[in-house]
Amino acid sequence: MRRLDWWLVLAVGVIAACATLAQRSTALALAAPGSVNRQLLWLAIGLGLMLAFSLADYRVLVRFAPLVWGASLLVLAALLVVAPLRAGTRSWLVLGPYTIQPSEFARVAALLAAAALAGEHREPMLDRQRIARLCVAVGAPAALVAAQPDLGMALTYVPLLLAALWLGGLPWRVWAGLVLTGAMLAGGAWAFYLKPYQKERVLTFVDSERDPYGAGYQQRQSKIAVGSGGLSGKGFHSGTQSQLRFLPAQRTDFIFAVWAEETGFVGSGILVGAYVLLLLRMFVVSLYARDRAGAMLAAGAGFVVAVQVIVNLAMVTGMAPTTGITLPLLSWGGSSVWATAITLGLVQSVWRLRFANV
Amino acid sequence: MLRKVFGDATWFVRDDLRPLQRRVVAMMLFVGVAFLLLLGRLWVLQVLQTEKWRRAAENNRLRRIPLEAPRGTVTDVRGEILLDNRPSYQLLLFPEEMKDPAATEAFLIRIGIADAAEVRARVARARRTSHLPSIIADNLRWPQVAAVAAHQAEFSELQVHPATRRFLPEGPSVAHLVGQLGEVSPEQLAANPALRPGQLVGRSGLERAYQDVLGGTPGNLVVVVDALGKQVSSLDEEPPVLGHPLQVTIDLQLQREAAAAMAGQVGAVVALDPRDGAVRVLLSQPAFDPDLFAGHLEPARWRELNEDPLKPLHNRALQALYPPGSTIKPIYAAGALHSGERTPADGASCSGAVTIFGHPYRCWLKGGHGGVNLYSAIEASCDTYFYRLAQDVGIEKLAAWATLFGLGEATGIELAGESSGLVPSDAWSRRVRGHPWYGGETISVGIGQGPILATPMQLAVAYAALVNGGYRVTPHLAARSSKPPKPLGLQPETLAAVRRGMELVVHGERGTARRWSRLPASFAGKTGTSQVVRKVEGVKWYELPWEQRHHALFVGYAPPEAPTLVVAVVVEHGGDAAAVAAPIAARIFQRALAPGFDTSTILPVLPEGVTPGPGASAAVATRPAPSPVAAAREPSVEGT
Repeated sequence: MRRLDWWLVLAVGVIAACATLAQRSTALALAAPGSVNRQLLWLAIGLGLMLAFSLADYRVLVRFAPLVWGASLLVLAALLVVAPLRAGTRSWLVLGPYTIQPSEFARVAALLAAAALAGEHREPMLDRQRIARLCVAVGAPAALVAAQPDLGMALTYVPLLLAALWLGGLPWRVWAGLVLTGAMLAGGAWAFYLKPYQKERVLTFVDSERDPYGAGYQQRQSKIAVGSGGLSGKGFHSGTQSQLRFLPAQRTDFIFAVWAEETGFVGSGILVGAYVLLLLRMFVVSLYARDRAGAMLAAGAGFVVAVQVIVNLAMVTGMAPTTGITLPLLSWGGSSVWATAITLGLVQSVWRLRFANV
Repeated sequence: MLRKVFGDATWFVRDDLRPLQRRVVAMMLFVGVAFLLLLGRLWVLQVLQTEKWRRAAENNRLRRIPLEAPRGTVTDVRGEILLDNRPSYQLLLFPEEMKDPAATEAFLIRIGIADAAEVRARVARARRTSHLPSIIADNLRWPQVAAVAAHQAEFSELQVHPATRRFLPEGPSVAHLVGQLGEVSPEQLAANPALRPGQLVGRSGLERAYQDVLGGTPGNLVVVVDALGKQVSSLDEEPPVLGHPLQVTIDLQLQREAAAAMAGQVGAVVALDPRDGAVRVLLSQPAFDPDLFAGHLEPARWRELNEDPLKPLHNRALQALYPPGSTIKPIYAAGALHSGERTPADGASCSGAVTIFGHPYRCWLKGGHGGVNLYSAIEASCDTYFYRLAQDVGIEKLAAWATLFGLGEATGIELAGESSGLVPSDAWSRRVRGHPWYGGETISVGIGQGPILATPMQLAVAYAALVNGGYRVTPHLAARSSKPPKPLGLQPETLAAVRRGMELVVHGERGTARRWSRLPASFAGKTGTSQVVRKVEGVKWYELPWEQRHHALFVGYAPPEAPTLVVAVVVEHGGDAAAVAAPIAARIFQRALAPGFDTSTILPVLPEGVTPGPGASAAVATRPAPSPVAAAREPSVEGT
């Protein structure tokens, strides 16, 4: 235990505390007091999961990565058949009164697979075969998630692939090619794949006055919530935007706005600081890792969490279109908390086992 | 501290991991820059733009609802309620919160607020003042209130708002007296800073005359609403100040009696106290449903009312002009005595017709009255006596006498829109008609026909002066507006002689209204008939179609010895003054002065099968009644 990274635990503790307070506020607003207890339970179980995985040996897990990865693919594939249709997607596994979102855990499996691939590879740069294997390792589960269809969740796999390619090493012209392909994919998605409501979100972001009561409504309400919090906030349970339900999706996508409205810049600074500390430690762990697999695991995990936090905060503050990407550890939902906790546990394991002679 | 967070920098020692570690550092820098941008954005939103977003949050949750002040109640001279308020529901629209105007309009049309075009017009008007709620419907019915409540989540921009609405327990019979309300006009707003846009103000009648008393001061309610438009709590309230009550001089018992007596007729009744000008009855028929004008939105029926040939919106008591007919005779008689043109005993001989300026003028009594003096000329309404008087004194003196008693100028009552009538003269003829006055017209004016026009109120004021010792009173509806009567300088003997003549009208053997002499409350007065079309020999008035019958007038007072009430009655196309107009005045006198007498036994004297008033005959509705002015241009040769 002494060898755990207590800075990282501190960051998680601060975020979990903020999460509890913010969830209490929205629970009051939504008149669902029980949801706070559930979130608390999930956070507690998540903390347990983190410690459990801290004590595990990440090298063993990386060795079994192909197995874990394969199992996750099977679950995702089965989901398309057995999962009930909820809010237009088949992304939830229902076990009696409990529901689990396997796509969150499948991303951990994909991270393990990427780390395993990095561990095998000894060269400073990736070759074509490695690139292809990485693309399959991350792309296959992402494709299955996109088929649910849960585009927002599938997009969270993209930073993982980017991190793996970046850390593995790619020549500049390949990066240029990737950017070009990405642009073409985006164009193709716009033309053939995106649904009208998704296009509307992007257009609204580009021109926020486009439809103040339609698609622009959420983003405007979120900006009002954050901005009206001011320097010191309106006080707990006193955020008018959340308490009077002007703020949409306030338990999940826009939970940060609840926190920012009630605690102001001071509170949002503390929370952002906690995330910065968390991410900093994850990258530091990656620098200390004893092997490539460990470094890839910690840095990949760090980048995935970082991109989620950045995209979510950019959305909440009106800098990016609404995408449905949640804020790790703060947003409501057990699967997301647990998957993040497991990832952090793996990172702890990398830290604990950083010295080659242990 | 920093060392602890970053570790002790033992990286880059292993060659094989070095490229990977370098890329991790690059990644950290990328993430670090992104977080700096986010923190900067939070700083801008939360610290630099606090005010802007605070205001947006306030506008989100706060609704400022104007609270209308209930208007003051009006009571009659006995304290009986004449005008009150009743609770009602308004529908407010908050235009800024409207997400889909087309859906809102469809909903409003569905619940029957108004027809499609009207609803669209109201919504469009509401959107012009987007920062304030607009009253989109007034006087909601219960199913509509329920429908809005049921769809509150869907249409959060709509809100049912309790308010008050004007209520007239008496209904249409006091509609003209009370008058109409309407939303304040831009000019009124500019003139009076205490008024607020959308506020209801009096547009006519008492509501307008006493707007300052009855109006009150509107208030404000600031409420907190949630995202569904549901009121969560009220934050701040500036209560409206109730309008002051007003007591008027109207006597509802007499007003009711007048309305009952005039039922079905077209015309006006005015009653006032001759001693001070306090108005007791002010009735105009036909009337309109006052509830149509009690709220904010004028119904489409306004046009219908406005185009009705019987002009129900017209307040005939103050605005309609009638040739006074023989009711002018006591006024000329007083003038003639006062100026020394006649003494009461001066006689004239009536043979039924007289030729003046080569033109025959007939007395209404075919065989003539024989020898008449001033008393009997008034009593029997002898036209010949007054033809001769007119011929002797000329138009200018007739005009001076009429003007002395207040004809030709507004009486000065508080209510707006009063007509000033017309007293013709040579100067008037040259100015308005462009030709000199014809001597022959003087003879017609001598019996109250021709271009001499007066309102019922003017006749009542003129008679008040005849019977109160010679004072011009200013008619008023509230004691605060009473003005001291103005002496006209008439000799008591003059007035006594004229009053003697008017008493004989009811109580004399040859009095035109002698059939009403046996009622418990004795009264006096003068009948008058003003011609609408030239009389055809041998045709009884009731054989003519309604709109060709003469106007029937009666102006009287009671008790004869010390009058406390003057009543002026005009029944348009009533036909016969003594048979139709006099009993209406008689009923009011009995009600006022003979308590317990059953006034419903006083009925107009009508031949079998004749109904008073225009009735339901379609011919009346389609053929517009000739205006009094047009009627007056007909050369008239007779009067009663």
